[in-house]
Amino acid sequence: MANDRLRSLEEVEKEIGVVLQCAGNIILEPSKEKHNASLLDRQLSQFTGCVSRVESELSGQIRYLTQVATGQPHEGSTYSARKDCQMALNRVEYARLKLGELGQTCERLLDPQT
Amino acid sequence: MSSQRVLPQSKETLLQSYNKRLKDDIRSILDNFTEIIKTAKVEDETQVSRATQAEQEHYEMHVRAANIVRAGESLMKLVSDLKQFLILNDFPSVNEAINHRNQQLHALQEECDKKLTNLRDEIAIDLYELEEEYYSSRYK
Repeated sequence: MANDRLRSLEEVEKEIGVVLQCAGNIILEPSKEKHNASLLDRQLSQFTGCVSRVESELSGQIRYLTQVATGQPHEGSTYSARKDCQMALNRVEYARLKLGELGQTCERLLDPQT
Repeated sequence: MSSQRVLPQSKETLLQSYNKRLKDDIRSILDNFTEIIKTAKVEDETQVSRATQAEQEHYEMHVRAANIVRAGESLMKLVSDLKQFLILNDFPSVNEAINHRNQQLHALQEECDKKLTNLRDEIAIDLYELEEEYYSSRYK
């Protein structure tokens, strides 16, 4: 859920770049000797579309934040689960170590040279 | 108590300022763009000479184009501020992320313990056989 909202904000950033680019292309077009009317129409519709999309998306995000934000810091944590998991991994590592020592002892005893 | 009342107001004020910045920047882009297009029209009658008028319109277009770019950069800053506010204050998403991470860690812990239990059971069976062999030999 959080990633979707952050991703949509990144799309908004790209749209802002498109807005500026379209504005520049539209202003540049009349300076040419031969105007491309269809290009102008496309760029203009893209410009207005992007501007309204940017405005509606950012308004929606601000409206959502007005509903969910409390002004208090979040006090949730994953520390307990991380600690339990770390202890389990330590147990596995200890068992691996002990089995390794047992294996070395058996190999030493079974080595015909000793 | 008074400090608790201050925090929600600052949150409200901050979000209202975001709204205002959004509206101002969008209006700035649209107004300046429209004015540039209007200025591009060549007038037949001018109060000053054509050269002066052209120079003045040239400068005006530069300023308005700079305003459009400034408004665009201000919008990018607003998006950055919104991302930061979202990460810190979107409690439903933070709760979901914490629950998801807890579930992942809990599943990993259970898998480790399950494998250790299976290992213990296998070693116990082997140990039983080894003890039988040892205690029935002449080396006990």
